[in-house]
Amino acid sequence: MTLPGNEAELLTRVVSGDRAAFDAVMRTHEDRVFSVCLRILGDRERALDATQDTFLTVFRKAAQFQARSALGTWIYRIAVNTCYDHIRRSQRRPTQPLPDHVDPTDPSAEEAIESAALRPEIEAALAGIPADFRDAVILSDLEGLTMPEAAEVLGVPIGTVKSRVFRGRRLLAGQLGNQYDP
Amino acid sequence: MHEHDLDLIAALADGSLADEAEARALVDACDVCRSEYRSQVDVLAWVASAPHVEMTELEKAALHRDLWTELRRDPARAAPIPWWQRWSYVAAGLFVVVGLAGVLNGVMGSDSGGEAQESRVDLDAAQSGDDAAPFLAEDSDSDGGGESAATTTAAAEQAASVPFPELADEVRASRETDPGTGTTSPDATVDECLERVGLDDHIVVAELELDQVYLAVMAGDQEADRSVTFITPAECEIVFVDR
Repeated sequence: MTLPGNEAELLTRVVSGDRAAFDAVMRTHEDRVFSVCLRILGDRERALDATQDTFLTVFRKAAQFQARSALGTWIYRIAVNTCYDHIRRSQRRPTQPLPDHVDPTDPSAEEAIESAALRPEIEAALAGIPADFRDAVILSDLEGLTMPEAAEVLGVPIGTVKSRVFRGRRLLAGQLGNQYDP
Repeated sequence: MHEHDLDLIAALADGSLADEAEARALVDACDVCRSEYRSQVDVLAWVASAPHVEMTELEKAALHRDLWTELRRDPARAAPIPWWQRWSYVAAGLFVVVGLAGVLNGVMGSDSGGEAQESRVDLDAAQSGDDAAPFLAEDSDSDGGGESAATTTAAAEQAASVPFPELADEVRASRETDPGTGTTSPDATVDECLERVGLDDHIVVAELELDQVYLAVMAGDQEADRSVTFITPAECEIVFVDR
């Protein structure tokens, strides 16, 4: 696979240590990486941490990128794996009780959280289905990746992703029915 | 259930089929397939109503700042330099060492102990720059204070793409929410800089690491003056004022 000229040039500059080039790569992909992390982890702070860890890994492994997939697909794969690492780590760590009240210092973040909570039933339904199905649905139906892209990100065959998406939607349909049935 | 082609039904539902005729015929002819299709379409519509998720400008600024802080803190893992470039740094270091040794040899004559000492220091410097050289070089540029006119112009051009008015709104709102935000003396250099640009009554409300580091400063008395000024601490320049 050949990268588009600007992506290839940016990566060459990243590998040579060009900070502005890496910032440009981040700006292109950071919102989508954050979105994927937030959908998988379900928590804004953890999603921000995972986004940062994702880009640290992207930077440190930039020289290993072999352009077998699009740059974005490679970055989202790192993001998904980073989220899995965060989930594994949090499962090993004893949970800390949340404070009763947190003063948000960033009002726009507060608005963003409220906005993201407009459809909490969607987040709850996604959290209620097995992770394999959930992640396939997130990438395909929420983030708009094609099946080959989602397969590359998840590291599974295309047929597996198609099956997971189908079954994930079916499970969500069950939850949707439950919510609207009297 | 007979041989329902579930992949085909899913693809029809999400609109990814180039030719829908076969799938439509299947859905029209089979009650189970039709039911699956409707179910998938309903779920897709439901999922599509999920709000778009993105970071705020302040979160992005914090992400960029924290990321570069982490990379500077752990320079051994900072830059993904390929092998050929590593060797080019080592070669350049050796070249400097050999040249320096020659110069010292000429100047100092028989003082070979001092020469050896100098050489070791230069080689160490060359090797420690192996991984982090580009960033250390960039840092030394921005910390040096002796920027060339060309660099300053480049910084100003970069600043032109930063959404200062939006950032100013967020900075202002942040300070209103938490009046304790801000510090009068982040470090002496910043204080000197504020004094030099005539903003010595201002405090630093936020540090934003975007294409470069900017400090957002506001008057200590925010009732009197709510304008937000952005300065580049490295060049000590005002790049934007939002009144």
